[in-house]
Amino acid sequence: MFMIINGNEVKAAPGQTIMEAARAAGIVIPGLCHHPGLEPYGGCRLCMVEITKPGWKGEGSLVTSCNYEAEDGLVVDTRSKKTLASRREVLALLLARVPDSEVIRDLAAKFGVKETPYKKREDADLCIMCTICTRSCEAVGAFAITTQGRGGDKEVAPPLADTSACVGCLACARNCPTGAIPFEDGPLAMTVWDRTFEKMRCTVCGKPTIPRAMAEHFAKKAGLPVEYFQVCDACHKRQTAEAFAKVLY
Amino acid sequence: MKKRLIVTPDLCIGCRTCEISCAFAHAREPGRPGQSRVRVYPRGEQAGMPVLCLQCEEAACMAVCPVGALVRNEATGAVEYLPQRCIHCKACVAACPFGNIAYEEATDHMIKCDLCGGDPTCARFCPSSALTFADSDAEANLARRRKRVTAA
Repeated sequence: MFMIINGNEVKAAPGQTIMEAARAAGIVIPGLCHHPGLEPYGGCRLCMVEITKPGWKGEGSLVTSCNYEAEDGLVVDTRSKKTLASRREVLALLLARVPDSEVIRDLAAKFGVKETPYKKREDADLCIMCTICTRSCEAVGAFAITTQGRGGDKEVAPPLADTSACVGCLACARNCPTGAIPFEDGPLAMTVWDRTFEKMRCTVCGKPTIPRAMAEHFAKKAGLPVEYFQVCDACHKRQTAEAFAKVLY
Repeated sequence: MKKRLIVTPDLCIGCRTCEISCAFAHAREPGRPGQSRVRVYPRGEQAGMPVLCLQCEEAACMAVCPVGALVRNEATGAVEYLPQRCIHCKACVAACPFGNIAYEEATDHMIKCDLCGGDPTCARFCPSSALTFADSDAEANLARRRKRVTAA
């Protein structure tokens, strides 16, 4: 299956999205809500591209490349006037939403957007509602955070301010493109969503590893014995060597 | 049958050539054995016990990964790590009962053996043929004998 992206023939596998095929071919399409490990979302609207098909009359249409499946013979333009205009508009809106975010400012500057005509949000945090955090949490299976509220009041938070479902894996905070979720990964404990998780200690050497809630959650989810999680990786490796040596000699 | 990385600890002389060759093939800073995916543990005075990923059939790391960032390469049989998919929860590091997947702080990624995509560097450089990449034990023996002849 082949598509034409910016005038070049690009190979695509069935089921692949335009963005995946383009990135595999080295064509850069910006995107903030896209994470290759998570379900495509199409929320940030930065990855817009203009598509036409052979035989189409009239204008090309703008689609989000992160969740538009590749089609044979599709003609894609990632730099057309319409694409760039839409991208600049999105960046201007983002600048008004998160005026303090360096990531967004740098990205906007790359596309020549320095100022925003829109009113900047008061008391703005850094969240751009890409939902990478909630989708990560969903993938992990903890379902501890979600979007709540509507319109301008929409925010990401633990439902009903109840943080008990959180297992402290920090996937939400570590994958946030703008660093909007405050967290701390200290030597002895992890803190996220105002909850502190003390790290378990390796039963062999005593080195702090991961929070108990996280170990129990992942053990249950993957159907693995929880003992696997109680020894640190270095001790596990040494034990492997010792076990093999014992069996063989 | 797929080729396997066969470890014969009897032949290991504890020289750690595998560690350094792995570090040159893979490490963030080439040649730093600390970032190697294989580790040789001392066994007695003049021998070693190389430990590296077993590419388990029912791999705990694969089972625990919430986003499918650890996938089986059907061609080589290796469990490969796809950094772009990873959400950095480090569950795989905690889950591996053999300690063969590690977290690298500098890159925020996991490191594990991927059989070098089908031609393991450690096996190529192992001077005593304690590590061989072969179809079967018989072929590993043959490779060993050949290596010994060329060495002499």
